[in-house]
Amino acid sequence: MRPFPLFNLCLAITLLAGCSGKVNTEQPGAAKSAPAPLYFKVGPGTAAVVTGTIRYQGKKPALKLIDMSEEPACVEAHHGKAYDESLVVNKKGALANAFVYVKSGLQGKTFEIPATPVTIDQSGCWFRPRVMGIQVGQVLKVVNSDPVTHNIHPMAQINREWNHSQGAGDPPLARKFTKPEVMIPVKCNIHSWMHAFIGVLDYPYFAVSGDDGTFEIKNLPPGTYAIAVWQEKLGTQEQQVTVGPLGKAEANFTFKGK
Amino acid sequence: MVFCVGCKTSGNARPVGAVEEIKAPLGLPLVPIPADNPPTAQTIALGRKLFYDTRLSKDNTLACASCHNPNLGFTDGRSLSLGVGGMSGVRNAPTLLNAAYSPLQFWDGRASSLEEQSADPIANPIEMNQTHKVSVSKISGNPAYKAEFAQAFGPGPVTLEKIEKSLASFERTLLSGNSPFDRYEYGGEKTALTPGAIRGLAVFVDPKRGNCAACHTIHPAYALFTDGRFHNTGEGVNGEGEFNDLGRFGQTKLEADRGAFKTPTLRNVALTGPYMHDGSLKTLKDVVAFYAGGGDSNPDLDKEIKAISLSGQDRADLVEFLQELTGEMPKNAGPPGKE
Repeated sequence: MRPFPLFNLCLAITLLAGCSGKVNTEQPGAAKSAPAPLYFKVGPGTAAVVTGTIRYQGKKPALKLIDMSEEPACVEAHHGKAYDESLVVNKKGALANAFVYVKSGLQGKTFEIPATPVTIDQSGCWFRPRVMGIQVGQVLKVVNSDPVTHNIHPMAQINREWNHSQGAGDPPLARKFTKPEVMIPVKCNIHSWMHAFIGVLDYPYFAVSGDDGTFEIKNLPPGTYAIAVWQEKLGTQEQQVTVGPLGKAEANFTFKGK
Repeated sequence: MVFCVGCKTSGNARPVGAVEEIKAPLGLPLVPIPADNPPTAQTIALGRKLFYDTRLSKDNTLACASCHNPNLGFTDGRSLSLGVGGMSGVRNAPTLLNAAYSPLQFWDGRASSLEEQSADPIANPIEMNQTHKVSVSKISGNPAYKAEFAQAFGPGPVTLEKIEKSLASFERTLLSGNSPFDRYEYGGEKTALTPGAIRGLAVFVDPKRGNCAACHTIHPAYALFTDGRFHNTGEGVNGEGEFNDLGRFGQTKLEADRGAFKTPTLRNVALTGPYMHDGSLKTLKDVVAFYAGGGDSNPDLDKEIKAISLSGQDRADLVEFLQELTGEMPKNAGPPGKE
């Protein structure tokens, strides 16, 4: 078996690399000598909010049953029938699982990376949540709650593409994205019906519409922003909003179906 | 490196007895025999005795058989093996069954023969942790061993080289073939495999489906289920795409060998879990799913490792096939005196 010294050396190198990566949170263009970036803080008397509803007009797609029968353990773990969730519209035409985010208007500001991870769970042979946002450098915690092996595969184009196997009972994986990228499609290399989408931004101004189609982006500094919405089947839209100190603005979007 | 410095043997000791033929069971080729260590009944018996002797560990608690237990397919059933004092090793104990065919020994191939391999774990600080000098002295202090070494190698002192050669000759007898697969493939017994295992075999060899045989090779006349080479499957990679255990790279310093480990044989694989060099996969089902998913990505991933579209049935069939690779156990391989 391998002697200890070499093993420890490798470990030490890995740890060192990890440390230097953590310290180096400078944004491109920032003064290179700066020891730590100056994080932008939204003044307590200025925080604005943008809310809205995402709607869908058109024929509601028929429910499509997902066939997991090739993996009986998945059928059991899913507890009930699984339906395609690529277009989820409620009775009132509200569109869920749309990713809404500030596309521009925050240039020159650097935001602190949240210490709490964002979790994606493989549960019932399904990615939960399906649509999610995360900040650059924030930890993505990948959990497998299933009794089967999954292989999570974020098909990133700007960030590093990777895939990793995670067996039943394996500890969570901790991964980070290093660059903004909207959106990264995620699949499971083993179960073809499993899909998720991750939006990576270098600020905390994003939301996912709920079952009622609504979203809220809060704690915004006053300013003029391009608010964009992305939906996996319907594409993207954007509109401009301006909010003053403690301002409230509404940005509603309607996608038209075929 | 703490071992194999100053322990290289000169190759002077030669067995003196009549050469013993080691017969290969159905499905296995002729056993390669080094010119300077033809197996004899005496060296094989001596190697067997040493293999089960705890005198070869620092605190007399461990023998070779502690991690290569004949009841567990000559493995220990653990993810990582335990050395003296319960110290955890860094890799999974490989089976010794059919190790005689491997061109290089250990997960990283650092020994080029069984002779070179056999004494390494004895001196390894995280395994048996006893210097070769002490081992030679403990063994030669025993009158029965002294006599047996004289019978095996002729007059002269007990040496490390003689210990290595005896252990290696015993290991060469640890052959296991004549599995249901062998009887089906090489014995013309078409009912030896279950229908599921026959389907699994088809997936196993099909380059467009399982493609398992690309590395776990099957020859028209025999099957070792290993190419004896080193591959990076991504097992053990961390979130930064790096490996704590660099595997073959530690020997060759070639970039392409980063994170690469020797292809293990799949013979008796149903007996030798948990799996992979770090023992991180518990069941054969886990292993098949690992490969179906395309392993774990990293910069040096082997080009043969990619996501495979296998149905749940295909994966179940593969597992069923792997379970049919359990062969007959070699005779006279257990602790001496317990035939």
